[in-house]
Amino acid sequence: MSDRKIFSVVGIFDSAQHLMNAIPDIRKRVNAPLEAYTPYPVEGLDKLLGHRKSPVGGMVLVMGIIGALSALGFELWTSGRDYPQVTAGKPLFSWEAFVPIMFEVTVLFAAFTAGLGMLLLLNRLPMFRHPMLRSSSLPLVTRDRFALAVEARGAEIDVEKITRLLQEFGAKSVEVVEEPAPAGVASPKFFLRTLTAIGIVCILAGFITYWTMKLFPIVKPMVHMLDQPRLNPQSPSRYFSDGSGMRMPVSGTVARGSVPYTIRNQELAGDLVNPLYRTETVLRQGRQAYMNNCSVCHGVLGDGKTSLTKAYGAKPANLVSQSIAGLPDGKLYHVIVAGKNAMASYSAELGEDERWATVHYLRVLQRAANARDEDIPK
Amino acid sequence: MKSGSTLTTAESTLQLLKPPSVVTGHLTIGGLDDQVLTPVGTKPPLAWFVAFSVTLSATLIGIALIAYTIATGIGVWGNNVPVAWAFDIINFVFWVGIGHAGTLISAILLLFRARWRNAISRFSEAMTIFAVICATLFPLIHVGRPWLAFWLAPYPNQRAIWPNFRSPLLWDVFAVNTYFLVSLLFWYIGLIPDLASLRDRTTNRVKKAVYTVLALGWRGASLHWHHYERAYLIIAGLATGLVLSVHSVVSFDFAVSLVPGWHMTIFPPYFVTGAIFAGFAMVVMAMVVVRKTMRLENLITDYHLEVMNKVILTCSCLMGYAYLLEGFTAWYSMNPYIHHTFMQYITGSYWWAGWLTITCNVLIPQLLWLRPIRRSYSGMILVAVAVTVGMWFERFVIIVSSLHQDFLPSSWQIYKPTFVDYGILLGSFGLFFTLVLLFARVLPVIATSEMKMVLPGSQPAHKGGRHE
Amino acid sequence: MNKQPGVRGMGADRKLIVLAGAGLVGIVVSWIVSGGERFWANWILWFLFLLTIGLGSLFIVALEHVVGARWSIPLRRVPERLSSLVLIVAPIALLALLSLDSLYSWTSPEALANPIIAGKRPWLNVPFFIARVIACLLLWGLAWWILVRGSIKQDKTRDARFNLRARRFAPLFMIIFGITITIVAFDWISSMEPEWYSDIFGVYIFAGTFLAGLAATTLALLYLQSRGRLKDITRDHMYNLGGFLFAFTVFWSYIGFAQYMLMWYANIPEEVFWYQERIEGAWGPILLGLAVFHFLVPFFLLIPRDAKRDPRFLFWTAAIMLFSHWLDLYWMIFPVLDLGPLFGLPEISFSILFVSAALLWIRFSMTRGADMPAGDPLLSEGLEFRL
Repeated sequence: MSDRKIFSVVGIFDSAQHLMNAIPDIRKRVNAPLEAYTPYPVEGLDKLLGHRKSPVGGMVLVMGIIGALSALGFELWTSGRDYPQVTAGKPLFSWEAFVPIMFEVTVLFAAFTAGLGMLLLLNRLPMFRHPMLRSSSLPLVTRDRFALAVEARGAEIDVEKITRLLQEFGAKSVEVVEEPAPAGVASPKFFLRTLTAIGIVCILAGFITYWTMKLFPIVKPMVHMLDQPRLNPQSPSRYFSDGSGMRMPVSGTVARGSVPYTIRNQELAGDLVNPLYRTETVLRQGRQAYMNNCSVCHGVLGDGKTSLTKAYGAKPANLVSQSIAGLPDGKLYHVIVAGKNAMASYSAELGEDERWATVHYLRVLQRAANARDEDIPK
Repeated sequence: MKSGSTLTTAESTLQLLKPPSVVTGHLTIGGLDDQVLTPVGTKPPLAWFVAFSVTLSATLIGIALIAYTIATGIGVWGNNVPVAWAFDIINFVFWVGIGHAGTLISAILLLFRARWRNAISRFSEAMTIFAVICATLFPLIHVGRPWLAFWLAPYPNQRAIWPNFRSPLLWDVFAVNTYFLVSLLFWYIGLIPDLASLRDRTTNRVKKAVYTVLALGWRGASLHWHHYERAYLIIAGLATGLVLSVHSVVSFDFAVSLVPGWHMTIFPPYFVTGAIFAGFAMVVMAMVVVRKTMRLENLITDYHLEVMNKVILTCSCLMGYAYLLEGFTAWYSMNPYIHHTFMQYITGSYWWAGWLTITCNVLIPQLLWLRPIRRSYSGMILVAVAVTVGMWFERFVIIVSSLHQDFLPSSWQIYKPTFVDYGILLGSFGLFFTLVLLFARVLPVIATSEMKMVLPGSQPAHKGGRHE
Repeated sequence: MNKQPGVRGMGADRKLIVLAGAGLVGIVVSWIVSGGERFWANWILWFLFLLTIGLGSLFIVALEHVVGARWSIPLRRVPERLSSLVLIVAPIALLALLSLDSLYSWTSPEALANPIIAGKRPWLNVPFFIARVIACLLLWGLAWWILVRGSIKQDKTRDARFNLRARRFAPLFMIIFGITITIVAFDWISSMEPEWYSDIFGVYIFAGTFLAGLAATTLALLYLQSRGRLKDITRDHMYNLGGFLFAFTVFWSYIGFAQYMLMWYANIPEEVFWYQERIEGAWGPILLGLAVFHFLVPFFLLIPRDAKRDPRFLFWTAAIMLFSHWLDLYWMIFPVLDLGPLFGLPEISFSILFVSAALLWIRFSMTRGADMPAGDPLLSEGLEFRL
């Protein structure tokens, strides 16, 4: 016998029945942990050896619920918050459409918890240095024999007594298995730690990439659609003789829906009458047009004070001043169409109705700037 | 029945009622290992090489044509504008479906404690994995630029966009990948004890090293089996849900749309049944060949084949029910579009495909009501081939017949596949059988540890006491 | 209640008769107060509730014969006895035909102005409807006669040939069952909204039916056990029964979700209105309740391994499932009245009458034959079943 410590004494039995018959008797006579090795799961053996209920079920349930919640949360967050887009007329938080993936991720989490949890956590595999793997009994076990091991687990055991007992209760042969050299790199702990580390790195990498790309937009996003062989607006082209990529409309043509505006002078425009009634819809339309086109220079309140004024030293008109408030609708309309001083024409941006609606909205702003006590609702 | 005394009649009746043993002849636990594990990794017979060269050639044809497609663009396929989905999606649905029988056998029948499944579970699980590999090929090449397929994954990106989680096509990506991973896990976990057996049997050093690593140091400790069995059962339960969900999700690709003939509420269970149906036909075909060539008649018995044929018959009746309801709803809905599409199935440009589907899937399998047919090779091969053809054409009908006449009559077109379409289909069959042939030589085709569990006399006799 | 096992408690019967009488009075009063439509809606609801329990039980019996299951033989007599409900519902079904005028709008001549309903005339017409109802009843009666009568007779004859006959007939019954349950779904429920169609509807009703059969079987089995009968049925049998309950809860939810999600996603007016009516207003919480009590609660209750083996636990889970099956039918039928969710005197009196009458019938049927199929040659194998 070598100087190595004894790990266990293993008896080989011919059948599951023999093994199961021997266990209670041996347990009565030996005060050492027992473990059985079988070629296939034997019914009732786990109860006989006193194994506790396997915790796999609970692990799977917990991880399944985590999988379900994280999948649903991720779908709601990406489709409803981080990249909110209406597709197929569905609401942003359309849980119905998120159920299939939620289910799949649940199954994925649960199944891998069951599989890897069983192998890595509960059974402590891969384990290439277990004493049994070196024994001559294991090839018998993985074929058709049943082994009962009385384990030392560090303590001293009476090898001869146990050998006798095993033989007495039906073991056909008995082997003494020794402790191997200490486990090196390929220990179960090593695998478990490596896997955990990889998992944590993956999750961290995801978060870091997400925030880096959000905060430092340095990479040109998706260039396939930009880098197409095509003519961009305002760009030159050698195809046409004038060297311009854009074409002028054929002379004498009028855009659909446009009404020719022939008044050349602001004074003459004073006679024009606003064709729109002051309804709420019109005022809303006017506000929309004003906010989109005018507010950049004239300010949200129409007082001509915006950041642009400071930045460029420009002096847009104060639209709520007495002088402009006194102008008739037509003259305001003319300015929108024809422009004035530094202001260009907005006839291309605003349709006929929108211009008149904007004029109505200007009146609202002017009234608001000079509000009286009785305007305050009680 | 009238001859013989009442006693013998009663006994023979009883014999008829009990299912036969899972193995025929006498087989010891060790003998099982010798029978199943000995051929693993040995030099295959000549017939194997002949078969392998045929399937490999088919695979190479497929690979060449896929390369041609990717280099040129999917314009080389027959797809046109109303029929934008054609062979690619038909083949995808077909192959995913083939996989389902494997999961049904390995998972659902395990839950139902149908012991006969233990002999065929390994092989059919392997078929599941290979079928899913064939299936994933098609969406991948049909996106046109497969090197950008990673866009389907939700990863943080510079475009600051996420994939559309409301799209059934994305559900598909998740479903099929989950299915593949879980099937692989299930298969591998089942293999571990067998790999351990192989490790301890082999004398070849290289093989021993490979098996040692793959077996993860499995040593058959009862505590390990204790956790193993529980985990195996749980994964089986989860895989059962997967079987329902994967083909349902595939059916959602069609059913959430407004295309008449696609938008049917019955699609999810109908697709699942069809998948199991086609898969079982494939398993029966493979099993007949395997048990003959590998001399496994004692493990894969006539009883096994008969039970599988009964499952095929059941599925066939369910398919008939689904077709019946599809037709009934086409009329009952009083929706002219659905009605038109259904009439297209059976009287339109592709009427032959419609009738081929009905004949192969519903009429021919009815032969299996007869016991002699269920037990004869020629009978079951006839049915299995018919079902495989029928199920492929069912997807053809659903996709091509429904699409080729869409809402705008001016864009109606007839779909004609090109040689590339046929070649890639051939290639997918080649790939599948190549993988099957390789598997049959390098891994045990029968799950020996599962089989050992149910051999007569392998379990201790019941004490008869009541469990508390 | 410490009586000899197997002896019926006459006192309980008398109480049930009194209760049934009270329910009957309530029904008469409510007919006068709230009119015929509501009366018939209740009538159809309870008819379908009892029918689905009976049919589901019959399906369990047939399923056992088809797959040759042996673990369920010892408890087969329970669904066999419950399946006699398909006989007692025959008069209820025939009386329910009187509801055609008030609940089924396709019977009215004005409905024919609607081209969709007019087009369905070859299927939706009164004579054919009645013919289908009678044909279904006859087929169920026949199946009951072959599968259940034969089994009860076997107690005495001990003739194993019954098993062979049942095994040969059961696949045929499966086909009959598939077609008839679809007819029930389309005729009695779906045609209340004659414009609506959903081809999965038969499968949906089948899922509910099987679940109702299973839940009722579980309840009856555990009740009998608590009375000292069927002592040989172990927790392992219960575990299997619990497993089936779990599996078909999931199946029902799967079918229900598939139908809902596909209609929600496509959002086509001609089919989505059915859900619209059943989601709006106070029906929304009821649909939510259905999701909770028909799926979530039983699903999570039945996940633990021990839950399926604990009789008390299983009893209450099955009770919840049976109730939610009732709620499912209620949710499908009552929106037709267009009055919102109702639960008043008519509903209460109907519940009292039908529950007590059904219990009376079940108690009576529990006296037929032995508690277990004693003549089945495979009974001992079933009793030996262990996980």
